[in-house]
Amino acid sequence: MDVQEAVAESAPAEAAQDKKDGLRRFTMGPNDSLEGKLTYDGHVHVDGRAEGELHVSGNVEVASGAKVKALIEASNVTIKGDVEGTLNARDKLILGKNAKLSGDVTVRRLQIEDGASLNGHVRMGDFEHQGSGG
Amino acid sequence: MIGELHIDGDVRLGGTVQGEIHATGDVEVDDAAKVNASLAGGDINIRGSVSGPVTARKRLVVARSGSLTGDVRVARLVIQDGATFSGNVSMGPQPDAFTAAPEPPAAAPEPVTEAKAPEVAPEARLSRTDAKAKDKPKR
Repeated sequence: MDVQEAVAESAPAEAAQDKKDGLRRFTMGPNDSLEGKLTYDGHVHVDGRAEGELHVSGNVEVASGAKVKALIEASNVTIKGDVEGTLNARDKLILGKNAKLSGDVTVRRLQIEDGASLNGHVRMGDFEHQGSGG
Repeated sequence: MIGELHIDGDVRLGGTVQGEIHATGDVEVDDAAKVNASLAGGDINIRGSVSGPVTARKRLVVARSGSLTGDVRVARLVIQDGATFSGNVSMGPQPDAFTAAPEPPAAAPEPVTEAKAPEVAPEARLSRTDAKAKDKPKR
């Protein structure tokens, strides 16, 4: 009956998550797709398909089932789906057990769970001066 | 230890190791170990410092006290939080073919320090290609 109500309902629910650490959150669903360059001040949850570049000040989560073909640059990156591209994690990269990552990786800390698949060059170290100063 | 070691079984490395380690079984690198060698084994568990290519036919685990620099070819990979790792990673089921080089497949009980062992392998790898039959197998 009241379609407007349905729309308004989802906003407060998301807002509750957003304000958890003061950072906004950009959330994609499994049917969503993103093509292009996204620069986001906050956390990004990637699901569905993404292609291009993601420059994120906060964390990036790639949901299981997501297919990403992009350059990702963020603080912490957690991958549970399929990612192809260059990855720069200013802090930590976590590959979950169904994760697939192909590409070069530059991280400070790395955690790869059993079952994950990784192909590419890994560089570990301190990268404070790299990135967009996020 | 400095040199080339072929072990039929498991091997555990402590201290300083330089050269090549080939194990048919598992390889464990102790947390105080400093290994500057290529490692090949089934399950490889690194708790110390390793510099060199690593090939794990089954699984490679770099523990949080571990540090690995070098290219890695594994079927499965686990890197624990706190571990250090730099290098190229190539994952996928690792066939036993490439391990045939250091290991004499038929003559298992032979002491592997003999130079004879490596000679057997290239033939085994090139055996079915008649075109190359007249070429000297290059190691």
